[in-house]
Amino acid sequence: MSWPATRITLRLRLVGTVSATVGLVAVMAMVGALFPAVGHTIGKLDVPPSVANLLGGADYATITGWFRSEIAVIYAPLVIAALAITGASSATAGEEEDRILALVLAHPITRSRLVAAKALAVALIVVAVAAAVWVGLIVGVALGGGGIGLARISALAVQLAFFGFAIGAVALALGAGTGYRSLANGVAAAVAVLGWLVNSFAPLVGPIAWLKYLTLFYYYTGHDPLTRGVFVTGLVVLGLVTLVLTSVGIVAFGRRDLRA
Amino acid sequence: MSGESVIVASRLSKDFGSGRGLFELDLEVGRGEVFGFLGPNGAGKSTTIRLLLDLIKPTSGSVQVLGLDPRTESLEIRRRVGFLPGDLALYPKLTGRAVLDYLAELRGGVDRRVRDSLVERFDADLDRPVRHLSTGNRQKLGLIQAFMHEPELLILDEPIAGLDPLVQQSFHALLAEVTARGRTVFLSSHTLSEVERVTDRLAILRQGRLVVVDSLENLRKVAVQRLEIEFGEPVDGAKFSVLPGVTDVQTSGVTLTISFEGSADAVVKAAAAHEVRAIRPREDDLEDIFLRYYRETPS
Repeated sequence: MSWPATRITLRLRLVGTVSATVGLVAVMAMVGALFPAVGHTIGKLDVPPSVANLLGGADYATITGWFRSEIAVIYAPLVIAALAITGASSATAGEEEDRILALVLAHPITRSRLVAAKALAVALIVVAVAAAVWVGLIVGVALGGGGIGLARISALAVQLAFFGFAIGAVALALGAGTGYRSLANGVAAAVAVLGWLVNSFAPLVGPIAWLKYLTLFYYYTGHDPLTRGVFVTGLVVLGLVTLVLTSVGIVAFGRRDLRA
Repeated sequence: MSGESVIVASRLSKDFGSGRGLFELDLEVGRGEVFGFLGPNGAGKSTTIRLLLDLIKPTSGSVQVLGLDPRTESLEIRRRVGFLPGDLALYPKLTGRAVLDYLAELRGGVDRRVRDSLVERFDADLDRPVRHLSTGNRQKLGLIQAFMHEPELLILDEPIAGLDPLVQQSFHALLAEVTARGRTVFLSSHTLSEVERVTDRLAILRQGRLVVVDSLENLRKVAVQRLEIEFGEPVDGAKFSVLPGVTDVQTSGVTLTISFEGSADAVVKAAAAHEVRAIRPREDDLEDIFLRYYRETPS
């Protein structure tokens, strides 16, 4: 590990990360504050099953369903995936494409330590976003009249953090392994979005319902952490995906030529 | 070349396909030398440097830097080498100070006095973000980071790009100082003027292959000489073109411009048969041979 490389990566992503975390807390506070006013009305909406699944059930009548649909299933994973993916691809392929990496690697730091340092920085960004979601949920739920326990809120934040680690590792492996930032961004974003869609729609079609198990999204929210708490299997799978992909990125980066 | 070798390449090749890359490079650079590495864009200079630093891996052949193998001992090499990339890029959002701090930290720290003296010598602006600096000011940061840990070997790719003449002078003085202390400089460029003042020996690369390695002095000896002779009346250029060593003759009114290799004796004696008002030597002879090596392999 190289602390200077981790610190510089964090420093370069500081403004984006702080903006995202402040924005998350503000949005969740507003979402919570809106619930007492609109929960009863919107809760009576008859939402088609396919749309309801996209929104994590669309159970707007309860504060848990309200936050699940508004925050847990769309907004929070969107923000954490965006920061993890862009952070990981910029720190590896981005610096390579910008021709900065050639200078950095002319210094006495091994490629594996450099990628590990970048991975740590991305993980810390993900933790900051997950922590913002945790704080935002506490504030939002309080403003919405309460109804979700701290353990459930913490469970969502932990599942979300592991989802961020895993999707960031997809971008890191591709960025470090190929040196192409757009490829890393595109594929990782596709993995996130397709995962959300497959996890939402596959259960509606019996024969392909099992496809949800192939998505990162299922291991994040498939067991509804706001209602059922921590999904340990999900954490294990997401953790393993993170470790394997980060290792793949480190090995691939060590073996290939740096792009000109 | 003097003393032990700092860089030794043996049949070093990197084939990118389609005829691009570096092919069978044999090269030896001695300790304390300022070695010029010349060639047009795309000749393979940067590829060679990237191989020295293990940024890319060779297709075949071998290379040693400071007696170490870049494939297995690159960390130690990079600890002892200072590198300035061509077309230098730095973190645009960070100030020069933050960039130098980071690069110094990657080396586990550098002597602050050395760094400060380099900053002072180059009058570098450390307080503005890199994206607001001119090319020359960014290049100053590149030079400072390359020199600040007092490396044994400096690998500099187009080091004076964008520098004003005064800073170039400071840079040349710095090169003289570091080589006087026994350090080695591998200086890559696509223009002769950039290295002419400071190199002991130079290599010329063309289309990935080494064309010549020699001292500037020897290259000058075989350089084409060119004289401009002004006569009292127009002369027949054909009589001069058959003289031994003459490679080119051009006439314009009473002026004859003649290029030749070797001794000027025959040319002067042939001119003496006419009224000679003036003889002016042309001083771009070394540049001529340099360009000739670029265009084709001299026989």
